Amino acid sequence: MSRRRLLSAVAIRKLEGSIFIAPWAFGFLAFVLFPLGYSLYMSFNRVKITASGVEYAPVGFQYYREILLADGGLLYNDLIPFLRQAIMMIPVIVVFSMLVAILLNQRFLGRGLFRAIFFLPVIFSTGQIIQEFITQGEGALAFVEQFQIAAYAESYLPKSWAAPVINVLNSFVLVLWYSGVQILIFLAGRQTISNSVYEAARIDGADPWETFWKITLPGLTPFILLNLIYTVVDLFTFPSNPIISKVNTTNYGLSSALAWIYLMIVLLFLGIIFYFFSRANRASQRIR
Amino acid sequence: MRWETIDWQRWLVLARNFFLGKEANKGFIFRLFMYLILIDTAFIYVKPILYMMTTMVKDMTNLLDPSVIWVPRSLYFGHLSEALRLLKYGTAFSISITVSLSVALLQIVSCAIAGYAFARLEFPFKRTLFVCLIFTFLMPPQVTILPMIIMFKNFGWINTYYPLIIPAIFGHGLKGALFVIIFRQFFSTLPKELEEAAKIDGASVFRVFFRVMLPISSSAIIVVFLFSFVWNWNDFYYPSMFMFSSKEVPLSISLSRLAASLSAEAEQSGPSIFAEPIKMAASFLIIMPPLIIYSFTQRWFVEGVERTGLVE
Repeated sequence: MSRRRLLSAVAIRKLEGSIFIAPWAFGFLAFVLFPLGYSLYMSFNRVKITASGVEYAPVGFQYYREILLADGGLLYNDLIPFLRQAIMMIPVIVVFSMLVAILLNQRFLGRGLFRAIFFLPVIFSTGQIIQEFITQGEGALAFVEQFQIAAYAESYLPKSWAAPVINVLNSFVLVLWYSGVQILIFLAGRQTISNSVYEAARIDGADPWETFWKITLPGLTPFILLNLIYTVVDLFTFPSNPIISKVNTTNYGLSSALAWIYLMIVLLFLGIIFYFFSRANRASQRIR
Repeated sequence: MRWETIDWQRWLVLARNFFLGKEANKGFIFRLFMYLILIDTAFIYVKPILYMMTTMVKDMTNLLDPSVIWVPRSLYFGHLSEALRLLKYGTAFSISITVSLSVALLQIVSCAIAGYAFARLEFPFKRTLFVCLIFTFLMPPQVTILPMIIMFKNFGWINTYYPLIIPAIFGHGLKGALFVIIFRQFFSTLPKELEEAAKIDGASVFRVFFRVMLPISSSAIIVVFLFSFVWNWNDFYYPSMFMFSSKEVPLSISLSRLAASLSAEAEQSGPSIFAEPIKMAASFLIIMPPLIIYSFTQRWFVEGVERTGLVE
């Protein structure tokens, strides 16, 4: 009797849980999994949209071969500069947002005002407004032009790397505009480290430099990973991204193949980050 | 002679305490440095907005006068009314506000339900579905955009705003996965005793969720609402894909059409000095509503972010 009741209680709990998750699971099937499979199917077919419906003619791996091997203009010409730029932007964004979050966490006069201003990027950094700022030239830093840093970079760096360095410097302010959510995440993360740890460290005579490296940084490690992931996802899915604008309705099959290759690249990139992060984490734990 | 040295030393200590502080983060030099960084960065963030607001009220003489850089000598609101006309502000605004507001409200409810299920409830394939959630978050929307266009075309939803709103009912839509994750994190930080007390009183899961859990999650709701509203308001990609040939478009598309027509004009009849102030006026009109909402919710928003714990 009691066994049966226990079982049915578990069953009821599972049923309730299923009802709660059902809408999301349905949405996942309808708006993620089905389109995903569909686009995979389309990437192997020549798709023709006619008045009466959609026609498919299987072409095998033709589009993939075209993108990866035959025509470099489709993927590599945009992808490689973009990847180089991303590799440099990501650390800048993460370090900058950590610095700002730590500063904003201090007690000082006008903290509320500064916080309000520093969250402005959360509002603007999506959408058309940021495009307007780019075309306006609001992205550049004055000192870059003054000291002709571009010329130095060109003469001292290998050619393929000079362009992205100059690019990042020229759009440095925009890099800062991308870091709104990251500042938020670090601020929230900083709250998870309890104040008593800092107090104990202070009583033991640790200076702020040591406190940062021994307490704040290790405490923030999970948030660094989170921010890395968020930044990668954000950069790689930003609509102004050069590859993304090539996924359009002119050629469904080719665009789908491109989108799938791109998805694999994103997952690979995240995989690399996870790999290095877990290795770095393990190494630092061994030292401690 | 002796008291003089003591006095001298005392002053030195006082001065040191003033400049360096008893603790390093309280001293004058540190403070100065901190304010320097903060003010510099804040200026970077505020400058485009200031530029936008000052440029749009400059008339012909102010625009041509090289001595006027920031503050115009007189105010001129012609560009604003021109931008209002070109943006078709009335209809575009009502579309934008309908879409963003309804998506935001739907996402709050549906993402909270899904987030609660992931945080507290049991159901079959929970781990698999959680992996699906993470995947949805990581996946670039471009991978699924083309099939969705075909799918919505079959439903006859192209050039309406159903494709933007319907996915939100199921906890998807623009960045829906992120909001589910935020709610999941929030609910898993709440103490379990809250629900247990209600359950012992004989309340069902639905009652517990809608009467106990949802009302106390105001901080997470504000964070999700603001993100969802603002991102949907600014979003250009989805409307441009689903509403490409519609006459009535949201503001984000309206702005890009305006910019395109201005640059086409510039190619035909040479660059006009009025293009810039009109564009700035249009940008101002577009960011105004989220800015107003932000200024009201900002206080709770900042607190909410800290209390939500956003992440583990």
